[in-house]
Amino acid sequence: MKLLLLFISTFLISTSLFAKNPIESPTFGDLIKQIIGDEKYVFDDENIQIKVPKFADNPVQVPIYVNASKIKDAKRMILFADLNPIPRVVDMQTTKILPVISTNIKVAQETPLRALVLDSKGIWHVGSKNIRSNGGGCDVSSQASTNSDFAKFLGKTKGKIFEKKDRNRIKASIFHPMETGLIFGNVEFYINTITIKNDNELISTIKTSSAISENPRFIFEVKDNSKSYKINFLDNDGNDFEMEL
Amino acid sequence: MKILLLIITAFIFSFANDFDYKIKAIKLNENSYYVYGKEEYFSKENGGDIANTAFIITKNSVILIDTGSSVAYAKQLKEQIRKITNKPIKFIFNTHHHPDHFLGNYAFKDAKIFATDYTKEDIKNNGELYISNMVNLIGKAAYTTKVKVPNSLLEEKELILDRYKLKILYLNGHTKSDVVIYDEKTKIVYASDLIFNKRALATPHANLQDWIKALEKLKTIDFKILVAGHGKVSYDKKVIDENIFYLKYLHSTLKNAVNEGLDTFEILEKEHPKELQDYSMFKEEFERSIINLYPKYENQ
Repeated sequence: MKLLLLFISTFLISTSLFAKNPIESPTFGDLIKQIIGDEKYVFDDENIQIKVPKFADNPVQVPIYVNASKIKDAKRMILFADLNPIPRVVDMQTTKILPVISTNIKVAQETPLRALVLDSKGIWHVGSKNIRSNGGGCDVSSQASTNSDFAKFLGKTKGKIFEKKDRNRIKASIFHPMETGLIFGNVEFYINTITIKNDNELISTIKTSSAISENPRFIFEVKDNSKSYKINFLDNDGNDFEMEL
Repeated sequence: MKILLLIITAFIFSFANDFDYKIKAIKLNENSYYVYGKEEYFSKENGGDIANTAFIITKNSVILIDTGSSVAYAKQLKEQIRKITNKPIKFIFNTHHHPDHFLGNYAFKDAKIFATDYTKEDIKNNGELYISNMVNLIGKAAYTTKVKVPNSLLEEKELILDRYKLKILYLNGHTKSDVVIYDEKTKIVYASDLIFNKRALATPHANLQDWIKALEKLKTIDFKILVAGHGKVSYDKKVIDENIFYLKYLHSTLKNAVNEGLDTFEILEKEHPKELQDYSMFKEEFERSIINLYPKYENQ
């Protein structure tokens, strides 16, 4: 009898845990295992705010905004899109930077977007939001990449600091093709690391992937109020583009 | 055996049936009509019937302005015109290159289809892509659609078609090349997508400053009736000012957002003027506009 009860309760707990995933997808289980192994995670849409368009009709430039600053002392934040051929979007250290990011990504089809945020107790919080898209409307996708002056603009950066009362917002953009290498004849060519430094210390190392849209734009929020920053964009071809703000 | 054949044909026909657009021509005056497109986004339910089309019956022929989102729509439009007149549809205008305005062209094989050089080129280069997008968006209703590139270059400022005179204004802003057709005789102006009447403006290929300039020019025309590209017809110039207000608001919102360092979604969460929020499709269209246009403003 006890055994039966135990069996039933385990069954109920396991199904209710499973049911907590707000957006089911066939790849979520494998992906999260690949990224965090056997570490503990909980679904936490309450503390992780994710914003995406109601409908993303330009699938190569889909704006996303993630704000997990409700999770105190977050150590690390990882974003991935379940159904993208390149699921991983960003992996950032968030001790001196807030777990906040705004950027544009590419989506191959309708997909959930996840934000994994590691708290100070070693538990990952998972935020989820579905991105609806099939490409279309009046847009013909990806016109921007056909710039013949490509070499002239490569690595050109633009940025600005916006002071807020308890933090600084950094807006930065760089001209880069962010080539996935998935199209026949094209080699992978994308920014894979961004570092942000203030006068004397490293604030964050941010790993990026080619799932981020071409000519990427970012908003980061740092927990200090320095007057200047140095941002380096490194790509997989060994280029190091430096920008001083 | 005959019955079986009958059943089989009936069965096949029931599947081959085109999407029913329930097209209704609305009379503007004795010889001028327009067909009102729903103020919605493309969907399987509306078959892409979201833009207005219009036609003028002249002494010997029919002039059609835009052909809708699909060949199925255009065929049914033709049937509707047939109920009013037997005169041949000889002349067609494609006012700009957006798929809800030209994808019906293929239904008019013998007509002279006018468009500007830019519009012609875009239809030639991207037509197939527009169709595959349309299949995604409206499904079945787009299956019979094929591209037909305009076959007559629109250049003159005044056209005489079977002795019927029309004035052509070459403007831009909604796209890189928009055409406005003015019928002096009836004082009807066909403003195409430079005007959205109480319907949020669509801006995927827009240049806001050019669009405002085009609308200022449109205001100088002495018209009695204005046929918008989307939304109902209008009988005064107020509609032009409303569109200018919308565009200026969009422009200043984007400019201020750059100065304040806002994120796309922070712009969308702001309080927007009440009168604009009352426009049909405001939420969807305003979001699309901000998403499409903000990077350009950020890079300036």
